[in-house]
Amino acid sequence: MPSRFVFAVGAILTLAACGGTTPSGNGLGTGALTVGVIAPFTGADAGLGPAYYAACLPAALSINNNGGVGGRQVSCSKFDTRGEPADAVPAANQMIASTSGLMAVVGCTSDEASTVVPIIDRAKIPMFCMTGQSEFNKTTAKYFHRLVPADVYDAYAMVGSAIYGPGHSPYKRAALVFGNDIGSQAFVQPATNAFTKLGGTIAINLPISLTASSYRTEVKQMLDSHPDVIFTEALGAAGTFLKEVKTQNGGQMIPFLGTSATIDPVWFQQVRDAIGISDFLKYYGGVDLGYTFSGAAYTEFLANLNASASQFADAPKYKQRGSTLHLYDGIIMTALAMVATNSSDPSVYNPKIIDIANGSTGATVVNTYKDGVAAIKAGKSIRFEGAGGQNNFNQWNNSQSGYILVTYDKDGNEVQVGQLTPAQTATIIAAGGS
Amino acid sequence: MDLFVAALGFGLVSMSVIAIAAVGFTMQFGITNMINLAYGEVMISSAYLAYYLNRAGISIWVGMVAGALFGAVFSFLLNRIVYAPFLRKGTSYLGMVIVSLAVSLMIANLLIPIVGYYPRSYQEDPGGLIRLGGIALTRDQVIVIGVAVVLMLAIHALLTYTRLGKAMRATAANPTLARNCGIPTQRVIDAVWLITGALCGLAGVVAALNSDSFAIANGAAFLITILAAAVLGGAGQPYGAMIGAVLIGLITELSAAAWSPQYKEVVAFGILVLVMVLRPQGLLAKRGALAAAG
Amino acid sequence: MNTFYAANLLVYAGIDIIACLALNLQFGVSGIVNFSFIVFQAVGAYTAAVLSIPPDTANGGYQHYIGGYSLTFPIPWLGGAIAGGLLAIPVGFVVLRKLRSDYQAIALLVLSVIANTVITNADKFLGGAAGIASVPPPLSDRIDPNAESYQYLYVGITAVCVVIALFLVNRIVNSPYGRSLRAMRERELAATAIGKNPVELKMTIFIVGGVIAGLSGAILVGFIQVWAPSVWLYPETIILFAAIIVGGRGNNIGAILGALLVPVGFEEVTRFLNNDPAIANLGPPGLIPALQWVAIGLLIIGFLWFRPEGVRPEARRVFEGAPMRED
Repeated sequence: MPSRFVFAVGAILTLAACGGTTPSGNGLGTGALTVGVIAPFTGADAGLGPAYYAACLPAALSINNNGGVGGRQVSCSKFDTRGEPADAVPAANQMIASTSGLMAVVGCTSDEASTVVPIIDRAKIPMFCMTGQSEFNKTTAKYFHRLVPADVYDAYAMVGSAIYGPGHSPYKRAALVFGNDIGSQAFVQPATNAFTKLGGTIAINLPISLTASSYRTEVKQMLDSHPDVIFTEALGAAGTFLKEVKTQNGGQMIPFLGTSATIDPVWFQQVRDAIGISDFLKYYGGVDLGYTFSGAAYTEFLANLNASASQFADAPKYKQRGSTLHLYDGIIMTALAMVATNSSDPSVYNPKIIDIANGSTGATVVNTYKDGVAAIKAGKSIRFEGAGGQNNFNQWNNSQSGYILVTYDKDGNEVQVGQLTPAQTATIIAAGGS
Repeated sequence: MDLFVAALGFGLVSMSVIAIAAVGFTMQFGITNMINLAYGEVMISSAYLAYYLNRAGISIWVGMVAGALFGAVFSFLLNRIVYAPFLRKGTSYLGMVIVSLAVSLMIANLLIPIVGYYPRSYQEDPGGLIRLGGIALTRDQVIVIGVAVVLMLAIHALLTYTRLGKAMRATAANPTLARNCGIPTQRVIDAVWLITGALCGLAGVVAALNSDSFAIANGAAFLITILAAAVLGGAGQPYGAMIGAVLIGLITELSAAAWSPQYKEVVAFGILVLVMVLRPQGLLAKRGALAAAG
Repeated sequence: MNTFYAANLLVYAGIDIIACLALNLQFGVSGIVNFSFIVFQAVGAYTAAVLSIPPDTANGGYQHYIGGYSLTFPIPWLGGAIAGGLLAIPVGFVVLRKLRSDYQAIALLVLSVIANTVITNADKFLGGAAGIASVPPPLSDRIDPNAESYQYLYVGITAVCVVIALFLVNRIVNSPYGRSLRAMRERELAATAIGKNPVELKMTIFIVGGVIAGLSGAILVGFIQVWAPSVWLYPETIILFAAIIVGGRGNNIGAILGALLVPVGFEEVTRFLNNDPAIANLGPPGLIPALQWVAIGLLIIGFLWFRPEGVRPEARRVFEGAPMRED
């Protein structure tokens, strides 16, 4: 090679290296990139996998339509854990063994996170997990990221809605109606602690079997305890239970508050079919993380989600599902981290993800992959605020954001009706004693 | 106390639903001596058929009839295509249980991609509450009880007064003798599968209506409850199944009131195991009616 | 293919082989239709977990369970095996009365459903629905469990267990014990007439099967480090029964073959099918796994019809065609 050429190349590289926060990794490599979606696609929690798949597809489109990751195209692969740990282990191992260009993993729900997180962490792949289990509140797994709060905060948010919520005076007597599945176990104790400390009474704690075909006797017991409000989740059984509440109460519904898991098109449809839309809207209160469902990031997400319908017909249904928004953001941030560090080595770009999410001082806020790449190329440091809003990772890679109080509109879209102030939130957390 | 009276009322509804299903189930057992574990899946299939009809605007009561017809045909074909050939081959009781288990697995998993995992509900206004003392039931629930009573009377009439009924009882008691006496056992068996299949399909729609929302996952638990009622009363004995249904229906609702509602179904399961182990012939079976125990 | 996945497959193969050998002992040789088999594996796993894990206040106290004795390998595994054997005693007494085979089968199946529901609802006993997590793998204080060498170690330990189980089972099947059992299975009346005590024989075999099943559970929990009710639902027993039917009941080679064909081969193949986007996006999500179950059902029915004796039939054909109708 002519020495002038070499010199020129060397000069350019040196110049490039001098400009601000320029990436210094070994390049982004070649070949296709894959995001693994590891979640239940069959079994009792089969509804979760598709929601996470619906997060990956628009992220891939957003990235691929804007140059890919250094030209590398991203695609999504599904790995079914069947909702239980013994099948999740080979799923995770097979994912790692047989997927070339595995850049990130999303999913890992409470059903399997305990087994799968160590495996993925050992393989050094960044993962974004949808588990509220408290075992991850202080995790040491460096590649683990959690964009949703621990389950206990959902319970507190419901208590907050009961006490500080709009449109009613504080409720005094609550009935707890939860099933015995993994997610629900976590709510009862914190909700009880917080609510009773703040002056309420638990009228009855009614654990129900989620597969029973009717709940008439249980409902009668609950009605006999005269609650003002029902705290519930009861995925799969909520429609049956609530319909019987309305029937036995002479056609009069009782106010009911749901966890963030009740912000879900399936739950909406079941309960609406059970008690009718007008009672649903009048008596339901939900809690959710503070999504605005608007703004540049959300618009980009929504456009790509609708475009994903060609690959996954149900994808557009998930347009307001919190988990879908968060995992979409996680994938985009991973891609941006790769670009920012100019590296395809996860051990190099993994720490950058936190940096991009939290932002350092003077960081430029970007809302889409395209803007992020442009800012990085211009030598700026960035903070990504995505479809799910802002993220703030703490030292254990848990990201918290505040809860809002919500309900639905008649078409099943989420509508904000109030929010808990930081002071109120602090009061409840203190009362719950977590 | 008030709670127990109410639970009694709910027990009436439960027992009606269970009775319709259990009588069909036990009659299948009586005539073939096999435990048809695919019964629950046929019920669920009929429930979904009625659901799709209901979504198309057809009344659920018509859907019930459609479910019954579907159940009849489905069960008849199931016997002709799968069970009867294995029975003719001399497969053991256990072999038949495994076969019916495999069939139930197949039906459930063929349905899942079509209907999905999510629960569905019928569009049906249950009507106002009708009160009688401490018992409060909706109009639909009262209708369900009425349907069950009518069906039980019909079965009783069938078995006691009609030739077919008598032929069924004879075939169940002693197939060889029945055949030798000129009873067309093949036709009788076919008739039994059609009738019990209709009961099965009808029971599926009724159960789905009763439970306000249903999914594939409910099939297994309900099957065990039906099994409990049938075995408790004496497998193969229709009147036994009626009694079993009454007992199971009451006990489950009362245990939910008195004890823990989470374990409501487990109580029925436990009764099944106890009966099978301690008194396999159930309450009503006389020795020799079928080879229930050794 | 990397070490971890390969080791995973080998360990699972070993566990399934041990489980099938145990089930074959209970069902194939002594004719007990143990449709609650998976509970035996679960008991072994829970016992091993509870023996090897620190008390539930450890790791931040996020779970609740009894026990927690931090015992070192191999005590938890021995404990698991013994627990399986102990469970066999009451269960055996329950069903070894003169109960017709399909009643036996269903009573046990329902028992396993009851057990699963009760454990799920009893939150503080064994972790409820979430189960027990952070179970320390065996010898983790000596060797780093995340190292590749640990994987080789685990495969080795599993292989040793397979050999032990095979040895045990072979000795029983080929002993006078085993011959009496087979005689008893085929013509119980005649066997009783010449003085064999069927109930005692069956019970002994049942307990040995339980011990081996418990061991398989201990090995599995040591590998995946978590145990929850979702792992031992009743369809798991059906898969193992399918393995025995396909492989050939009554003989150990058949059991091994069945274990490799059904739980390992079948389930892993479908995993790969699901990765190919062309196939995975065919139809509604979850179509492939649902069809997998349909295929298992067809497999069972097909084998029962065409080849009831399985891929590798029993060496001495003591029965032809389908098992005879009991009178």
